[in-house]
Amino acid sequence: MQFRDSFKTAILGLKVNKGRSTLTILGIVIGITAIMLVVSLGKGAQDLILSQVQAVGSKTIAIVPGRQPKGITDVFSTFTDSLKEKDLTALENKTNAPHLAKIMPVVFGSQAVSYASQTYRPTIFGSTALFSEIYNVYPAKGRLFTGEETQSYANVAVIGSKVEKELFEGQESLGENVRINGKSFRVIGVFEKKGQVSFVNFDDVIIVPYTTAQQYVFGIKYFNRIVAEADNESNVDQTVADIKATLRNSHGITDPSKDDFFVETQAQAMQMVGSITDVLTIFLAAIAAISLLVGGVGIMNIMLVSVTERTREIGLRKAVGATDGNILAQFLLESVLLTAIGGAVGIVLGTLMSFGAVLALSKFANLKWSFIFPTSAAAAGLLVSALVGLVFGLYPARQASKKSPIEALRYE
Amino acid sequence: MPLIEIKNLGKTYYDEATTTALTSVSFNVDKGEFMAIMGPSGSGKSTLLHILGLLDKPTSGEYLFGGRNVGEYSGGEIAEFRNKKIGFIFQMFNLLRRTTVLENVKLPLLYSAVDRRYWDDMAKRAIESVGLGQRINHEPAQLSGGEQQRVAIARAIINNPEVIFADEPTGNLDSKSGGQVMSIIDSLHAEGRTIILITHETYTAEYAQRIIRLKDGEIESDEKVKSRRHADGHEFFK
Repeated sequence: MQFRDSFKTAILGLKVNKGRSTLTILGIVIGITAIMLVVSLGKGAQDLILSQVQAVGSKTIAIVPGRQPKGITDVFSTFTDSLKEKDLTALENKTNAPHLAKIMPVVFGSQAVSYASQTYRPTIFGSTALFSEIYNVYPAKGRLFTGEETQSYANVAVIGSKVEKELFEGQESLGENVRINGKSFRVIGVFEKKGQVSFVNFDDVIIVPYTTAQQYVFGIKYFNRIVAEADNESNVDQTVADIKATLRNSHGITDPSKDDFFVETQAQAMQMVGSITDVLTIFLAAIAAISLLVGGVGIMNIMLVSVTERTREIGLRKAVGATDGNILAQFLLESVLLTAIGGAVGIVLGTLMSFGAVLALSKFANLKWSFIFPTSAAAAGLLVSALVGLVFGLYPARQASKKSPIEALRYE
Repeated sequence: MPLIEIKNLGKTYYDEATTTALTSVSFNVDKGEFMAIMGPSGSGKSTLLHILGLLDKPTSGEYLFGGRNVGEYSGGEIAEFRNKKIGFIFQMFNLLRRTTVLENVKLPLLYSAVDRRYWDDMAKRAIESVGLGQRINHEPAQLSGGEQQRVAIARAIINNPEVIFADEPTGNLDSKSGGQVMSIIDSLHAEGRTIILITHETYTAEYAQRIIRLKDGEIESDEKVKSRRHADGHEFFK
């Protein structure tokens, strides 16, 4: 018997019980749909997060005060005051870190800002003019503050487009004074509309010289971060080593395990984000896969019913020359076809649903979430669903092939 | 050499109770012979037919077909035997529902080595030979009982088998349809095929050349039919 004929026979068997076949594959359809949805959205989320991380550039190095957190509960160890002005000076020294091209300290926090009767609460960043270069965000009007203004604790501020809208409601903001923590700041620039970059919404920030921020806004003497850039991507690792050595020297640390700071590179951050989202996606897909198991048991159940119902047919086929193998192949093919169709429907449905979800996310949550068709998940889904048919169809098909033609023909 | 030789054939079922369907049956069938097996229900005639058609296995005795002991057949050889050497006609027709006449008749070809290019022509010829050329694309539910049995006959002869086994072929038919079916079977015999027919009606059995009567699993009588009934004015074979 040729495969073609087995195939036609199987299709016919499924067609005769169209309604039942449809209900039977529902479990598989739901399972594959869920897997497609999870993997597609998971990949989209990963891309979104990675694009945020990537936006900063791969030469960027972040120095964070405190021990490297060892887990989620360890997060408080990062809030320390170990990075100070003298560290900045030491790192700016070319003999300590020859490939360090740019370096800027960052202090940040949330503060109420007021203008006339309006009050708003954006994120306040204290940094230097390098901020624009490193985060690739520039004023659309006005200017950045200068080195001299940083040196002289100038009360100047560059504000985000949303902050301007909230405080000034369409009036001219340049040259006006806003109050932050009781201190008056002159608006000298407004950033272009930029949106989310590297987890910061640049429309919703105010940037002031770090010296002013430390002194008048937050009242601290340390930095929350030092952000640096190597002159070349290939020198990132060398620069990280240089930074560590310089800071240990500056902090009088000899044992690296007692470091009161840690250094993060973009490559590390991306790897971490990638592995976290991968694990999450796999975990969720595995949960979705349980429904495939349930679907498989459903298939087995229905195939057993089908074999019993078609006992006479089996007897007849054997009487006209079908071998046990022919009967086995017929029923196995039926269940594999059934689950493969379920898998295909699930792939289409999952794709449509995740496309819809992406549309909704980008429209209502204003995220640059991109739709991704997970080719590997689709291929695996089709394969796994066919495999489910094979595994759960085997027992009923064997039952069918073992029927004695006499018993079968006598069956009422 | 006879086509079929059976020697001391016995069949005992071991279910909840031990039932002996055939005690010890021996006879020969020559090639081209038309034989009827008669007997009351429970006499073992269906069991005997199933063993002859390799649908069932005897528990004792020997069955030679064309001089070969079929007890030595492998699973594949048994399937091939059912496919090529014999054709079965059942009381209940046993057609596949929601499947056209053409596809029903082609069914044995699916399991044969015949090149698929010839399938349709072979099936059409077989269907025309039982006078159902107009019904080729009908499904069994659209046909009368007599027509369904004729489809079953077309299916039985599609592989040009040596022996036709008919198990109460007229049992579910009115006398007119039954007469048509018997005249087709008679003409199959006239073409040189060996026919083994099971019936409990003497009228039907008298189409055969020889009648074996079974009782309680044993042969009660085995005699030639003196005045054979012949299909007169058969409308399909002219």
